Amino acid sequence: MYKLLLAFLLAVFVAPAQAAINVVATTSSMGMLARTVGGDAVKVTVLAPPDRDAHYLQAKPSMMLALRRADLLMAVGADLEIGWLPAALQSAGNPRVLPGKPGYFEAASQVSLIEKGEAADRARGDVHPMGNPHVYLDPQRMATIGKALAQRLSAVDPEQAATFQRNAQAFAGQVAAHLPQWRDKSRGVKGVVLNHKDGNYLMTLLGVPVLGYVEPLPGIPPSAQYLSSLVGRLKGRQGVILYTVFQPAQGPNFLAQRLGWKAFRLPLEPALDADAKAYFALIDQWVNAVAQAR
Amino acid sequence: MQFKLLAGAAALSLHTPLLLADDSASLQKLIEQVQKLEARSARQEAEINRLRTELSARPASAPQTQQEPVSSPQTGSFDQSTQTPASIPAADPATVSQSATGPLDAPGLQPLNLPGLGQTGTTTAATAFNPALSVILDGVYYHDDRQGGVSDRLAESLGFGAGTSEGHAHGGELKQGFNLRETELAFSASVDPYLDALAILAVGEEGLEVEEAYGRTRSLPWGLQLKFGRFFSDIGYMNRQHPHQWDFVDQALPYQLLFGGSLRETGLQLSWLPAWPFYARFGVEALQGENNGVASYLGPDEDHPAFSDKAGPRLFTAFAKFSPDLGYSHALQAGVFGGRALKHQEFQPGATDDEALDGDSWFAGTDWVYKYDDPRAFGQGDITLQGEYIYRRKDLRVVDSTDLARLGLGHEAAQDGLYVQGVYGFAPRWTTGLRFDTAGLINQVNETGPGEQSLASIQRYTANLTWNPTEFSRLRLQYNIGRLPLDGSKESFNQVYLQYQFSLGAHGAHAF
Repeated sequence: MYKLLLAFLLAVFVAPAQAAINVVATTSSMGMLARTVGGDAVKVTVLAPPDRDAHYLQAKPSMMLALRRADLLMAVGADLEIGWLPAALQSAGNPRVLPGKPGYFEAASQVSLIEKGEAADRARGDVHPMGNPHVYLDPQRMATIGKALAQRLSAVDPEQAATFQRNAQAFAGQVAAHLPQWRDKSRGVKGVVLNHKDGNYLMTLLGVPVLGYVEPLPGIPPSAQYLSSLVGRLKGRQGVILYTVFQPAQGPNFLAQRLGWKAFRLPLEPALDADAKAYFALIDQWVNAVAQAR
Repeated sequence: MQFKLLAGAAALSLHTPLLLADDSASLQKLIEQVQKLEARSARQEAEINRLRTELSARPASAPQTQQEPVSSPQTGSFDQSTQTPASIPAADPATVSQSATGPLDAPGLQPLNLPGLGQTGTTTAATAFNPALSVILDGVYYHDDRQGGVSDRLAESLGFGAGTSEGHAHGGELKQGFNLRETELAFSASVDPYLDALAILAVGEEGLEVEEAYGRTRSLPWGLQLKFGRFFSDIGYMNRQHPHQWDFVDQALPYQLLFGGSLRETGLQLSWLPAWPFYARFGVEALQGENNGVASYLGPDEDHPAFSDKAGPRLFTAFAKFSPDLGYSHALQAGVFGGRALKHQEFQPGATDDEALDGDSWFAGTDWVYKYDDPRAFGQGDITLQGEYIYRRKDLRVVDSTDLARLGLGHEAAQDGLYVQGVYGFAPRWTTGLRFDTAGLINQVNETGPGEQSLASIQRYTANLTWNPTEFSRLRLQYNIGRLPLDGSKESFNQVYLQYQFSLGAHGAHAF
């Protein structure tokens, strides 16, 4: 009994003492980047699993515990996690990772955002006046974010600064190496219909026109009437429909049937423990789906 | 040709020093010209950036019904040019931050930018407003078959005392017909690097009330947090939820009858979240002690000089919450809590007139919550199960009565309440909830005179149907059926609610 108690106390008080930088990433793509740039120097915990919409999570005790022990919080930002991250942060009682502190890193703040400055009017759906937050599906922006992250990690662990820089550069190099091939594949593509504005950065990068959205307004599921009008507008044209694993399939399937297009159900996020390779495979998946639109 | 050029260049180079030496006025002119040119190119750059932003914003602002592609390849190529090219070394901090701030962004509105670290602030709409403001509207159509008197009768017939019959029960009393429940105005912001503050004002029929107004520390070490002001106590699970966070229109019976609503007090709270391998949170609160149910304080006055005087804080509570890590889909939290009021004073109906009772009280309870988060969109498949049990004990003494023989007699009341409820997302944006709540499983009043008296209990069954068009609006239909003790026998009662709730303004995040 005494030994058991001692073991428990040891587990409780010794376990948190680790050398690695404790990075808490809100989504698995952020986790991927932290892992890629941080290498062995970081230990990454991901708060939102890849099969769930990061807009609509609930703050959970496990998140608070993870944040309590974090050295660096890596969020997507631009209001994406607004429904749960502030609440989790508030209860975590960890001043190091609050917004404004060096331990708080927001990806969307490191790059330029598209669709910025939209009217903050919820009659237009779940709009993000600060810009489209889905930067993580844009490898080029991810490369920029990676470099900024290397800076930030260097502040936490200056000894490894060179490693972080090198890793970030390597990631940027890989992105640059992949880019021509992604652009080649999607050259001459007629266009895509997205379920949500989550693919906009990638389509912009590839130069692929977005012909419309399954959602009439961001975050609002489509009505039959809206879908019919969309069909009427796109009839006779060519394209593909892209939606993500957690988005309802009815709307995309309806469109696919009426238009005779292909609908692709794609992951929006790489696996929980993804590395850069898995992330590029995810982009490949999107690009390959886009390439069908001709 | 070449020779001529060379000669010209040589002449110029010879002439230049002369010009510098001789004519400083023309030099000044040149400098001015260069400055003008620079200013012009800055203006042009700003204009280009503005156009660029406009262009990249176009796919969003363009109406969906437009025939042409919403996002064109041209937009793409423009946007790429705003990217930091891969060749620029990451070591250059200016590049990193420049990509985020255009020349037209007012520097005052930008989040704090630490040198060499990029942006540290949030890119959130809420930061544009200081403080973040939100308004919650809540309206209920209510009908019951007891002429609206269900709540009054509950308190009377069950002997739960001052609980609901006096004062303001939070989100409680409803009239038959249309009701505008409290309209909540919430303001929140960071005060300074050390404090966050929140104020929630409730505009009800009795006017404006400060529902919550507290400050909370931001930077205490070791997972400690200090909260002070007026707030909902962290005891239990449902206690600190505002009415718009409830899964049912009305509050569960244990809260209604034992606390007269929620335990909301003025005081301070210290909580601790240790960095253990599992989630645990502990807290203690020192509160003024004004709650009708557990810490009623009336104090001596002209009419009732018998009540004793007691300075605050008079109510002390403690809570502990535990949560094992069950992965991404499941969450379980279990809590225990208790509180002790150094003073509890109330009136009880006596033989001829109300009697004044003075003493103290304590309560204890446990709260359990389980949530299942289904990957499907719009809450489909999500499950929440929760239950709480609360026990309250009052040790009082008659201090004033028209029957002098009763002065000094003891009055001990032991009462409890329990609820269990479940909510299930049976379709996207639709939930249904079932609840059973009861009070008075233990309902013993022990008086020195008449001896022990076991009072009746109440049971109630509730079902509801909720439609959430978005995260910001809600429509709910609820039906309660219960059995209420009346004059020795039990009679059933029915309650129907139709509720709407809207939230305007800043996007609020709710704690677990």
